[in-house]
Amino acid sequence: MIDKQTDFESELERIREGLVELNGNAVTIPVDTAKVSRLAYLQYQRASLLGNLDALGDADATLDFAIENLGPSGDLYFLKANIHFKLHRLDEVEQDLQLGRDLLKSTSGRALKADLDFQQGRYQAARAEYEKLIEEERTWDTLARLAYFHFKMGAVEKGDRLYDEAVDTLTAKEMRHYSWIELQRGVLDLTRGDYEKARSHYERADRAYSGHWLTQEHMAELAGAEEKFDEAERRYRDVVERVPRPDFQQALGELYLSMGKTTEAKRYLEEARDAFLRSADRGEVHYYHHLADFYADVEENGPAAVEWARKDLALRRNFSTLAALAWALYRAQQFSEALQLITEALSSGAEDARLFHTAGMIYTAASPNGKGARYLEKAAELNPNLKNFHVHR
Amino acid sequence: MADHNDPNAVNSIFSDIDVSAADLYDLFGFASSDTDGGQKVVIALTFASVPAAGVFDTDMLYRILVSPDPRVVSMTEDKHSLKGLLRYFDEIKEKFLGPSKASEIRVTIDQNQRATVKFIDFPGTSFSTVIDTNKVTTIDTPDGHAIKAYIGGRDDAFFNDLTGFFRSINYAPQFYHVPHTMVGARELEIPKTLLELEGNYLFNFDPNDPEWGYKGNKRELPPGPLTWSGDKFYKDANGNFRFVYSGRDCQAGININAIILEIPLAFITSSPDDNRIVNTWGESWVLKAAEKIETIPDHPFWLEHPIALIGQLNLDAELKKYKLVDTDGQPFADAALSEREDNRQLGANNFWLAPHFIKRLAHLGWGFGPSISALGLQTSFDHDNSPVSVHKTYSLVSTAFPRVKKTLFQQLNMPDDSWNPKGLNIPLRRPAEIFVPNVCAIDMDTTGTWPFGRRPEDQVATRFLSMFLDMEAELNGKKYHVELLNDPALWNSAPIEPKTVPNPMKNDKEFLSDFPYLAEPWS
Repeated sequence: MIDKQTDFESELERIREGLVELNGNAVTIPVDTAKVSRLAYLQYQRASLLGNLDALGDADATLDFAIENLGPSGDLYFLKANIHFKLHRLDEVEQDLQLGRDLLKSTSGRALKADLDFQQGRYQAARAEYEKLIEEERTWDTLARLAYFHFKMGAVEKGDRLYDEAVDTLTAKEMRHYSWIELQRGVLDLTRGDYEKARSHYERADRAYSGHWLTQEHMAELAGAEEKFDEAERRYRDVVERVPRPDFQQALGELYLSMGKTTEAKRYLEEARDAFLRSADRGEVHYYHHLADFYADVEENGPAAVEWARKDLALRRNFSTLAALAWALYRAQQFSEALQLITEALSSGAEDARLFHTAGMIYTAASPNGKGARYLEKAAELNPNLKNFHVHR
Repeated sequence: MADHNDPNAVNSIFSDIDVSAADLYDLFGFASSDTDGGQKVVIALTFASVPAAGVFDTDMLYRILVSPDPRVVSMTEDKHSLKGLLRYFDEIKEKFLGPSKASEIRVTIDQNQRATVKFIDFPGTSFSTVIDTNKVTTIDTPDGHAIKAYIGGRDDAFFNDLTGFFRSINYAPQFYHVPHTMVGARELEIPKTLLELEGNYLFNFDPNDPEWGYKGNKRELPPGPLTWSGDKFYKDANGNFRFVYSGRDCQAGININAIILEIPLAFITSSPDDNRIVNTWGESWVLKAAEKIETIPDHPFWLEHPIALIGQLNLDAELKKYKLVDTDGQPFADAALSEREDNRQLGANNFWLAPHFIKRLAHLGWGFGPSISALGLQTSFDHDNSPVSVHKTYSLVSTAFPRVKKTLFQQLNMPDDSWNPKGLNIPLRRPAEIFVPNVCAIDMDTTGTWPFGRRPEDQVATRFLSMFLDMEAELNGKKYHVELLNDPALWNSAPIEPKTVPNPMKNDKEFLSDFPYLAEPWS
């Protein structure tokens, strides 16, 4: 029996063929715009598909070469901005958007700028731009962006309607995008403790685009939350083997902790921590929030968690990074500042079970006025299964 | 050509999908010369040959819509005002959007490359059948008619100097690597023109690089302002203008996929003697992602009953699983009149675009009108005797209308009477009638040559330009007509280089005299 290629494998194969075709004749003088753009794009696609953040450097180098020879093309800077966004180098994203010729006049550039606003906690600016873009053209990606915004701000029905429309816009030629939206919807159900709905979305994601480690990773978390530990372990091991990234090693380690397998847990958690630290030593910033989380929740080392959470907050001041630092400060028993930061996080309007839980714990510790209990209740209302296994996204 | 450059939504930013099977190219329609057993109409919808010529994309659904009508009297004088024209558009809107819906031929292709063809809401019946692709097939209808069908690969029946057309409208992506993110760099803000503009280095022909703009030969977009600041047409040392067209066939050697049908008129309408006009247009739809994962094998009903009555089945439910991508009725209705924006892919339902159509036609007129005048010909467009083409856009239809009034309402003369073999009293057509709604209106008492339909051998790109000629004017004692610009003698005596008709005069492969009419595909 011949094994049929998965959609993931087929796409990767197409990218590989494209790269082979361009091999050696794209990064040459005189520069062929179409070839060099395609090379950078394929390198970016390949790195993204494989979840290999290091490999984004190949695309970045190609883009530098292209920009040096061709000038500030909007498309090239758009790709560059996307790479920097993935790596949390947000100042550079801002710079890329400014440098790309006419980039901020384009739909794609403006959408990315709105994403940047969201990450920087400029929520109303982000929302206004998403809405403006949708008014101009109802594309699936902008609809999905605004849907996410509404979900985060607690407007679940609005978000659901937008996701429905985004999905309806996608065609059979865009199955990976469809699958991605299904994963986002599954995560939202998971964060509300609705495992059945989450599973249904994840299964649809898998049917739409088979063989993707990202779907496997989401299903692993769900299985862990449902205490189907064998399934979760099997899936996580597969993910870690395919994408040996420290954030997934941490997830597997934490799963082992939930299972009481401390030896295995220790191995994966130490590997994850060391990799996070090596990345930070190299000057990379994209694992700061993982380090904050790791020290706060795995090692319960408050001062270390505070150190990394402060660095992350310096990059992007949003409700999530504010809450992460507040939580780290709570671990370090610095309740006064924790209270101040969690209050700022709550003032964003975000409605998230984990945020409310953090607020509940901090208020309970720092301010005996009953607010803590109310936040804990709100957290439990939003997600009755909050204490179950989960990962930090 | 409806739009050989495919709708924007089909292009992804870095060309994941270069050409899409959703990209409709042309719709041909004419009365068949085979009248055995009654009159028949030929309709051919062509589109990109993706994944290959003769091989079809199974995620696609194609529709050919058909709406028969009596021939109406030509647009009367009382309509020759802006108010009258808008009222006219309102009246005909009812015909296409009102209760009497069009009949439909719907085609999908299964994994075995067999075509399911559904005939829906025809007077006598609705039915479905499954046929082989790339083979002429006769479909016997339940009410006793025989329909010829060919669904397969063919030579591209369109012959045109596409590069010349894009040069005439200063369409940058044909000549430059235009980043997708540079939304403003499509039709640059340079006057549209038939004659090269002096100093228009962004688009003028380069004798050192004659292939520029052809076959994907592009340059880097220069950093400076993408405009033109001259004030005259270019002339060479001999005082000749330089034509933006070359007469080259950019579609030579290219294949397409096609749905070609020859349908008895009596199947389309129960009153074939009265309904002499067959309005038709095509649509491409692509399966929605959500439906792709729910896809089940073909309904056993179809498999067990290759020809079956389908009245009871809910076909709208089928269509809801797909998303409309492209429409095709009149050549140039999308590309030349609506700037090819996706949200204007409305096909017959383009009534709300009528005001835009008037503004766009005026915009084109400021480009082509002065070019025509410079050649010593009379134009239908009022450009105030401008000595050179002008880049002008309109925000108000009321200011555009007076300029373009004659262009809209003049009757397009035919070169001779051959289009009207029975010598009937058939009014000549006017541009306002031709483009709204965006349908191919086949007059069954004519040969079906454009604008009375569209025959494969029609040079429609050149005929389209003739709209800007003043049809009341005369040349050598004969009134201007739709073939005037396709006459080599005109260009041989004109102060212009190269001395060529704008577009090739014939297709690169001979058409067939019998069904399926379009030539075999290139191997």
